[in-house]
Amino acid sequence: MMRRSLNLGFGIAGLVWLAVIFWLTTQVPMRDESKDWTGSLDPGGWMAWTLPTALFFAVIAGLLICFTWLAIRSPETPRKGVLGLMTTRGDRLFISLLGSAFICLIWLGVMGMPLWGGVAAALIYAAAVFRWV
Amino acid sequence: MEKPVNNRAWFLVLPVLLLVAFSAILPLMTVVNYSVQDTFGGNQFFWAGLDWFEEVIHSDRIRAALGRQVLFSAIILAIEIPLGIFVALNMPKKGIWASFCLVLMALPLLIPWNVVGTIWQVFGRVDIGLLGYTLRKLGISYNYVNNAMDAWITVIVMDVWHWTSLVALLCYAGLQSIPDAYYQAAKIDQASRWKVFRYIELPKMQGVLLIAVLLRFMDSFMIYTEPFVVTGGGPGNATTFLSIDLVKMAVGQFDLGPAAAFSLIYFLVILLISFVFYTVMTRQKEGE
Repeated sequence: MMRRSLNLGFGIAGLVWLAVIFWLTTQVPMRDESKDWTGSLDPGGWMAWTLPTALFFAVIAGLLICFTWLAIRSPETPRKGVLGLMTTRGDRLFISLLGSAFICLIWLGVMGMPLWGGVAAALIYAAAVFRWV
Repeated sequence: MEKPVNNRAWFLVLPVLLLVAFSAILPLMTVVNYSVQDTFGGNQFFWAGLDWFEEVIHSDRIRAALGRQVLFSAIILAIEIPLGIFVALNMPKKGIWASFCLVLMALPLLIPWNVVGTIWQVFGRVDIGLLGYTLRKLGISYNYVNNAMDAWITVIVMDVWHWTSLVALLCYAGLQSIPDAYYQAAKIDQASRWKVFRYIELPKMQGVLLIAVLLRFMDSFMIYTEPFVVTGGGPGNATTFLSIDLVKMAVGQFDLGPAAAFSLIYFLVILLISFVFYTVMTRQKEGE
């Protein structure tokens, strides 16, 4: 009963998250009769939202919801990985995100744009962190 | 008695979460938004992608400021941590002198940062400042306005004067928590003063030292007001640390995009170094 209500709650949170993503795409402004994907979502607004930055935060919010659901649904004990650190899933997510930011910055500094190679390296790094750290 | 566990208790954190969202998360989101756009004022923004990040990473000016900042933090930690421990070890443990020392140590911490800067700005002046004037009378060449080394020494001594008390008070609190039985056992074993420090006092102080190192690192890495008031980042750019450079860029030049990219990289560096410090020191603690 408890687990059903938990799954239902997080299911609703997931649906709200998808609805927000959909709503964001509807807010993209038009330019020369086509969608300007990097245009301002709130022209004149002080927060200066754009779709790419909104999606960036939406992905992080989605990850936090997902990891909270996992932590409640199947609690885990910290484990010791190759670095000798006691880590939980949340710690590994933090290490992955922080390391990924630096991988992308280093890619920008050494290789420059585009960043796709850096993103791929960051994903591989994140997978390695979750597997071995 | 078994404690009841109810995950709904997490909802009690909501008010704090809302407060943090308004004071930290929303401003941070705004900085991320600015870092990928350009503006000429009037809240009109134009997409710039990751150009500002590339510009900041390749900027010689920012690299030089980062180098100065790392050097400054390293010197500050190398002086303040041992000195704070030394002062704490030599403070009276009880009685009226203990209270007197505590008040005396707390005084520099109560002075606002810009006032500390002003005190040292006047103190170091060669025409009217007590320090500058005395050094000149002693025949020592000292002028923090036009000599980079003098400016660095002034800023470092000022920071040591201002913040060593914090380390000392934290260490003192750690020392006070050690039961007398430990010292009695060491006396029976005829342990030397060094061994008492190495095997009793230092391990017991490790928790507070972790906090002291983290606080002093983060504070020194983000230092702005004191050097700005004393030297204004000069002579030349000799004491232009990251925060001073960032404010020049964001407020002086109104380059919001590059300044936002710069502050995000700055934030990530602080986050990384703090995480490494914390991990290393808690691992050492677990090992013991």
